[in-house]
Amino acid sequence: MTLRIDPEKNEVRALKAMTHWRGKRVLEIGCGNGRLTRRLANLGAHVDAIDPDKKLIAAARKELPTRYSDRVRHKVGSALDLKYPKQTFDIVVFSWVL
Amino acid sequence: MVHALHEAQRVLQPDGILFDLRPAPVHRRVGIQSDQGYREIGAMREDLTDDYFANRAVKQVLREGLFKSEKFTQFNCNRVMGSLKEFSAWLLDFTTLGREHSSAHDWLLERVERAYHATPGKKKIIIHSPLVLRRLRNLAG
Repeated sequence: MTLRIDPEKNEVRALKAMTHWRGKRVLEIGCGNGRLTRRLANLGAHVDAIDPDKKLIAAARKELPTRYSDRVRHKVGSALDLKYPKQTFDIVVFSWVL
Repeated sequence: MVHALHEAQRVLQPDGILFDLRPAPVHRRVGIQSDQGYREIGAMREDLTDDYFANRAVKQVLREGLFKSEKFTQFNCNRVMGSLKEFSAWLLDFTTLGREHSSAHDWLLERVERAYHATPGKKKIIIHSPLVLRRLRNLAG
């Protein structure tokens, strides 16, 4: 058995209850190994996922199922200096980083 | 933290949504689930200072009028581990990343080890960690 986080999926259930995700352009800050990114993509969001840790971004890319590859982009990046133009996203998620 | 919220506001559409998802400022509880049921072993003593700083940062951007707080919820998020080795590795990572000394939770590891070995049959180590989720609306346009 490997470590499992939130097997009950309470996290994504709470996020789903708070807004509509389908077709939305989302920035996830602090994506880690992409656990939540995949769940947001599964809700129909287009996700730009960033994390300052290169190794975690590599792991997230590796773990991403091909069915989400047109909807998810991973990038090394910091919350303090977002490399995106103004007003790019419908939703920003601080994922366990604030 | 306030600067990160300002950056997020910059890249958000007018009327866009910011979600702040993170562990609640409470101590995580550790227990063992087996055929005999769930048994709590102890609560961690992690430093919660960063959580309070994060709350203050959110309050500041609300005061600045950048966002409006719309919704808040708290729910449980479990971490499930099938072995002492996994728990030990997680605990080490956790204390290394935090403000605590690396030996701050040795007492908990020892207590979990004893309880784990004393529990017969199939068992899992469970860490209960409530999460908070806030929905903030971008007011700048």
